[in-house]
Amino acid sequence: MADKRTMTLNLTDQEMRLLDDLSARKDVSKTALLRQALRLYQMVEERLNRGEKLFFEDEEKKKAELMVV
Amino acid sequence: MKTLVHIIDNRTGQPVEAELFDEVTIEHFIETQQEWRPIVLKAARQLAAHGSRELVPQHFHWDWTTKAPELSVLANSFYGIRRDNKLQGLMKLQTVGRFCRCRLPEQVDKALVYVDYVEVAPWNLKTLAVALGEKPLYNAVGSRLIEAAVLKSKEEECKGRIGLHSLPITELFYRKVCGMTPVGRDSAKQNLLWLEYTPEQADNFLTGAR
Amino acid sequence: MRFNTDPEWLKKQAALEDNCFVSVGGLVLAVEDLQQQAQRVNPARAAFVNLLNLTRRENKFTWEQFSQKLDVDLAELIGIENDENYKPTPRTVTKIAQFIHVPAEKLFILSGLARARDIQFEEAALRFAARSQPVEELTTEEHEALKEYVKFLCER
Repeated sequence: MADKRTMTLNLTDQEMRLLDDLSARKDVSKTALLRQALRLYQMVEERLNRGEKLFFEDEEKKKAELMVV
Repeated sequence: MKTLVHIIDNRTGQPVEAELFDEVTIEHFIETQQEWRPIVLKAARQLAAHGSRELVPQHFHWDWTTKAPELSVLANSFYGIRRDNKLQGLMKLQTVGRFCRCRLPEQVDKALVYVDYVEVAPWNLKTLAVALGEKPLYNAVGSRLIEAAVLKSKEEECKGRIGLHSLPITELFYRKVCGMTPVGRDSAKQNLLWLEYTPEQADNFLTGAR
Repeated sequence: MRFNTDPEWLKKQAALEDNCFVSVGGLVLAVEDLQQQAQRVNPARAAFVNLLNLTRRENKFTWEQFSQKLDVDLAELIGIENDENYKPTPRTVTKIAQFIHVPAEKLFILSGLARARDIQFEEAALRFAARSQPVEELTTEEHEALKEYVKFLCER
């Protein structure tokens, strides 16, 4: 595995609660969850850079595009 | 990461060393197109010509080189197995994405590692080798790749949980050989069968306790 | 990662795996398409040939001098230039990439050794291919096109 580095992260109460909630739901540690979030962000960015678009689709097959900053 | 693992040499029935690595590059993808694909196509045509359509590999026209842009995406992990200076198997895992969540009721929504692609070199697959009048060369390459997927899942703190969509022709391998639980057909992925490991099943696979 | 080193586990797995088909990935073509499956032509091949040609001409090399500079077979360069179905070796493409200072994986796609699913990449390749003409001396426009395209390949 690649060498790891440590950083300190400041989160609001709301963000911390969200992190707690998601890590419990996914049954992974908070660190693991944040690493997954970072990878997901990169994955989305790479595809947007290739000219693709990100859509969410509801059950009626109506699509709404997700704009990622 | 490079590590030595054992696979079985079918000529002797004995374990032999192979290298399992994760630094997969586009050159490996090109190797699959140049070394594997012509053999897969030739075997597929033989099987089709002899009326064994149900045995035609359902991945006969895959092209790993289209995945080259995915090499630099951190959500993806690639693993290869090498012996005799040739690729014997290749795998792509995803640690984040739409399929990276469990569906089994007892672990629904929990994170898992998704096995997106696995391919074993055609000279190692009995059906293809026999179609070309040969004997399969190495065995247990697929098991080693699934083992790597489970170990990656543990590294990612997913406790060994993995999930995958099985091609119809490979359902036997994942159900019986790996002991994965079939959950149901997925309309989001060509109605392929979704299979999954619980942490206990993953450990049983790793230790052979089934 | 700690893999199982028990030879009994391995032999048991091998026995179970022996009659199985092992792969994961999407279903694609029907068996009927096997006979019709044609070699895919890479639309960026023209861009690759032009990139090679313009680079050679910009440096005022003959083909022979270029092959010596790149340390590749002259026959390979001639094959690339003249035969659109010719597949260069990965080594040759890597050498060309090193000489031009662009990422090798981009040239693997242009040369047809690899495939891309990148609309912008393909469109840029076609635009570049359309901007150059086969004459000896590089025009100012060709020189600009070459510079811009190399910059594009390096930035993405």
